[in-house]
Amino acid sequence: MSVDIKKKFLTLLVAIPLFIAGCGNHDPESIKSRSKALVAVVSVVAVRSAVEAGGDEVLVVPASAIFRKGELTAVFVAGADNRLTVRWISTGRTMQGDLVVLGGLDKGELVVGVYSPSLVEGVTVIKSVTAEDQTHE
Amino acid sequence: MNDGIAGKLAKQFINSKITPLLMVASLLVGIMATFMTPREEEPQIVVPMVDLYIPYPGATPAEVELRVAKPVERTLTEIPGVDYVYSTSMPDFAVVTVRYKVGEDAEKSMVKLWSTLMKNMDKMPPGVQFPLMKKVSIDDVPVLNLTFWSKTKDPFQLRKTAVGVADELKKIKNIGDVEIKGGLKRQVKIVLNKEKLRQFNVSPLQIARQVQLSNTQMTAGDFKQMNEEIIVRSGRFLESSDDVANIVIGIYGASPVYLRDVASVVDGPEEVNNYNFFGHAAAAPNGSASGEYPAVTLTVAKRQGSDASKLADKVLARVDNLKKGFIPADVTVSETRNYGATATDKVFTLLEHLIVAVVAVTIVVGFFLGWRGALVVFASVPITFALTLLIYYLLDYSLNRVTLFALIFVTGIVVDDSIIIAENIHRHFAMKRQPRLQAAITAINEVGNPTILATFTVIAAVLPMVFVSGLMGPYMSPMPIGASLAMIFSLLVALIATPWLAFRLLKTEEGHHEEYDITKTNYYKLFNTILSPFIESSFKRWIAFGVVGLMLVGAIALVPMKAVQMKMLPFDNKNEFQVIVDMPEGTALEQTARVTKEISAYLKTVPEVLSYQYYVGINAPINFNGLVRHYYMRQAKNMGDIQVNLVPKDERKAQSHDIAKKVRAGVQQIAQRYNANAKIVEIPPGPPVLSTLVAEIYGPSQEQQIALARQVKKVFQETPGVVDVDWMVEDDQKVYDLVVNKERAAFRGVSAEQIAQTLRMSLAGMDVGVLHTDKELDPVTIQVRLPQSDRTSLHDLSTLFVQSQGMGTLTTRLRAGEMIPLSELVTVQEKIQEKSIYRKDLRRVVYVTADVAGATESPVYAMLNMDKKIEQLKVPGGYSVSPLYTASPTSDEKLAIKWDGEWQITFEVFRDLGTAFAVVLVIIYLLIIGWFQSFKTPLIMMIAIPLSLVGIIPGHFVHGAFFTATSMIGMIALAGIMVRNSVLLIDFIQIRRAEGADLKRAVIESAAVRTKPIILTSGAVVIGSLVMLFDPIFQGLAISLIWGGVLSTILTLVVVPIVYYIVEKKSAKP
Repeated sequence: MSVDIKKKFLTLLVAIPLFIAGCGNHDPESIKSRSKALVAVVSVVAVRSAVEAGGDEVLVVPASAIFRKGELTAVFVAGADNRLTVRWISTGRTMQGDLVVLGGLDKGELVVGVYSPSLVEGVTVIKSVTAEDQTHE
Repeated sequence: MNDGIAGKLAKQFINSKITPLLMVASLLVGIMATFMTPREEEPQIVVPMVDLYIPYPGATPAEVELRVAKPVERTLTEIPGVDYVYSTSMPDFAVVTVRYKVGEDAEKSMVKLWSTLMKNMDKMPPGVQFPLMKKVSIDDVPVLNLTFWSKTKDPFQLRKTAVGVADELKKIKNIGDVEIKGGLKRQVKIVLNKEKLRQFNVSPLQIARQVQLSNTQMTAGDFKQMNEEIIVRSGRFLESSDDVANIVIGIYGASPVYLRDVASVVDGPEEVNNYNFFGHAAAAPNGSASGEYPAVTLTVAKRQGSDASKLADKVLARVDNLKKGFIPADVTVSETRNYGATATDKVFTLLEHLIVAVVAVTIVVGFFLGWRGALVVFASVPITFALTLLIYYLLDYSLNRVTLFALIFVTGIVVDDSIIIAENIHRHFAMKRQPRLQAAITAINEVGNPTILATFTVIAAVLPMVFVSGLMGPYMSPMPIGASLAMIFSLLVALIATPWLAFRLLKTEEGHHEEYDITKTNYYKLFNTILSPFIESSFKRWIAFGVVGLMLVGAIALVPMKAVQMKMLPFDNKNEFQVIVDMPEGTALEQTARVTKEISAYLKTVPEVLSYQYYVGINAPINFNGLVRHYYMRQAKNMGDIQVNLVPKDERKAQSHDIAKKVRAGVQQIAQRYNANAKIVEIPPGPPVLSTLVAEIYGPSQEQQIALARQVKKVFQETPGVVDVDWMVEDDQKVYDLVVNKERAAFRGVSAEQIAQTLRMSLAGMDVGVLHTDKELDPVTIQVRLPQSDRTSLHDLSTLFVQSQGMGTLTTRLRAGEMIPLSELVTVQEKIQEKSIYRKDLRRVVYVTADVAGATESPVYAMLNMDKKIEQLKVPGGYSVSPLYTASPTSDEKLAIKWDGEWQITFEVFRDLGTAFAVVLVIIYLLIIGWFQSFKTPLIMMIAIPLSLVGIIPGHFVHGAFFTATSMIGMIALAGIMVRNSVLLIDFIQIRRAEGADLKRAVIESAAVRTKPIILTSGAVVIGSLVMLFDPIFQGLAISLIWGGVLSTILTLVVVPIVYYIVEKKSAKP
């Protein structure tokens, strides 16, 4: 437990100066630099594989990661460059709080574990991998 | 003096009151015509192309080919006027594309095609459904695209807004097809619940039938009662999702089973079948939204012959109006294509060029003839163009880049007639041998007839270009026609208006009283020093000829040395390009969306990109190129299109072609990571083709063809400069074939059709009717389907149930109604989807396609380069395959390759232009023989023609430009101009000799007297062309006219008199 708190504290220590630096560097000239300026810490989980009732291997993500825009379904993916992108996916049935992903994600990709409306595509984030998923890696 | 036609005309009009009126009237009608003629960017090209879709459900590609494609192709090729027949045989259906010869009447072709097809429908095997016939025409290409995007609304809501707007827009006059791309339609979804179905003993097929039966309403008739007719009506249409949910679909036990008991009925957006997103990119103005938003595109096409820009303006005005009320405030409407604006832009740029050219020419003329002379010439040009524009309007031509190009092209030439006449009047006024009126008429008489001849020489030079065949024909034909018309008008203007103007404007200089003496002029002195040595010494003469000959050989040698490369047309500077993404067949829609999105994210960072929009699972609005390439069929789940809009061309330095080249590496890098095939597609400047570089591979069997194609593809990939390599062979896609166990099915009372239908309904869904609501503009379908979560694996499918028909099937005596799981009736076989079979002109073909960029820009050199490598490829049988260039192979017994794509058109165009050039030479020769009554003299005059090459080819080398089709046009036109110069030169020599001058003096005198008009006219051509030098497409023409004009003028003035002297010396001496 104390390890967890320490980790969070550390990430905060890193995040706050970065955030401030980002604010100072505000440049309205271009879209690119604007979106780079925002930094947030997000907890991410990896896309896991699971075995379905029928015996087929499927990919799953936590149901909390998913958000919808009308009929469109999406998750936020944190890429190797630490930038968030919206990934449109199609989902199958639920499996104990997880949702089966039928298309759009690869195994091992990092998705934002809990969707929040304040997340914006293109921002750079600091990834904190949650404990639950470290077991899977 | 006996007056010629020219003199008679001039006499009539030089003092007539009607002349100024005619001039003013022509100007006025010309201006009116300019505004009334419809404007568009591309010329109106009628390519009668018809697509036939022939469904043959259940058949394999091989079967479709054998039973449908082959017989249909065979009958269609019998139709006169059919140029090519292509076919693609896919599982379940065939697409046959018929292309008629360019210029065939579209309606007549359709009728012929239809009757031929109907005549042979009885020969089709049973199971083949009725063909769908679609005419493809240039007017299908949308002229205006409006993208509806929003930060808050979803695709379903966006589509609803767009449909409403489309309905409103349809009321505008002259509007063509209005279409909506993307978004999700409203649909009543009957989402089946497998457990409940089983529990209530209901099968999906039963639901479908019940819904269809409930959705009826009918007028039964009427009866009479008390002198009154009373109408009887029965049934009720389904009007809402509640109506659907409350349908009774069966009885279970003693109580009715409602649809809502076994399925959930949802009224809302259909299942996601496309992704369409819009985003601003790096070059977007400050404050633009930075993200990527769901979008729906509304495309507007125009009716044939209407003005794209006027229509676009009207549509935009209407949309602006709707923004106040109908369109919600959080939906933004962005204009992502406006061909009306680009057409107007292009037309006005070209008109501007035209004016610049005219002004530049006037200044040059002014330099020689004084401002009054310049004014005479200046006034005559607008009249010529006004009349030409009027004819354009009357002939139903539109103002487009080709028709206007014709005008710019002739600017330098049409002033010539006026220059020659004005110059000669000027000279005669200066000589003061006669009173003014008499002098003017003498002057016109002196040059009038050679001018008429010269005009016809130039017309003879350009007119044969009308006969360019193939797709390039319509691009070319307005040019010779427009140029010839302008030439004829310029002649009339020169003979009617110019004398009138010159007579009034040109002043006789004062204080110039001594007798005119040619030998005292500077020109005479100059030519005396230049020409005398060559005339006197035959040695010097031969050295001079040797030098000229060497220059010619040296110039021509630049072509095989590849210092000057041939290409049909260079790329134009456009404001858009497309990226086409093809994932391997069998890729999920979301995976395609992901790759497309990632490529878009890269494009977003390119500094010249203004905005982008990507379409996945649905095709982007097509352009002319897409029309010919069948991009409107790109609606599969593994296909994505990205439409990239650049900042307007005057706001960026880089040409669109260079930007496309620049982004290619980045795009390919992302595509390769996902095993995708991406292509950068630019709008071709000329007729579109399947791909710039196409290798058609023929052979005895599909396996061998594909094997060779694979090797050829590898050669393509290894050749520098060859990019975007692809082939038209699908990747392996997994297929689960559920084979029905016939015995078991018969025993259980289930038909194979039942199984197939149940599966189809569960997976693809089945539309069982429409909701009868009057509020919705798009029809609302009612669809039965399993929820997505219940159709993800074979396991899901095997738990489906079908209902036994019992004795109804006549195969069993079991009771009907029993639910039988599919797993009991079918066995699963895993297979690979059979590959589509492509055929062209009755032969199986496999296409390997690519583009050229970077190391080589011209496909011809890439092809020559690859020929050697392809010849070394090993094929079964041990022979070597050498690619063919001009004709398809004669037999299918051996593997063979034919080059196609841009090459085919290049070959046709240069062949036709070459033939045209040969015809031109013959016509010019005949014309001059007719005039001079000599077989020798025309040959002397035509010496000037090859001399133009000395300028043209090195000119291209200096500019680093391609020798293009427009260069060739320039060369042909130059032949006419150069011969005209010779005509004027030699005509004068003969006049002087007839007057009694000796040969040498006549030659030098003629060179001296004619130098001024020749330099003036050639100067006009050169100056008039300068403005075209900066236009990517017309650059070649400008280079030909400028460099060829300058060098051959100088050489003509020296070489032609000398050659004439040698030839005539013998006959003159005795």
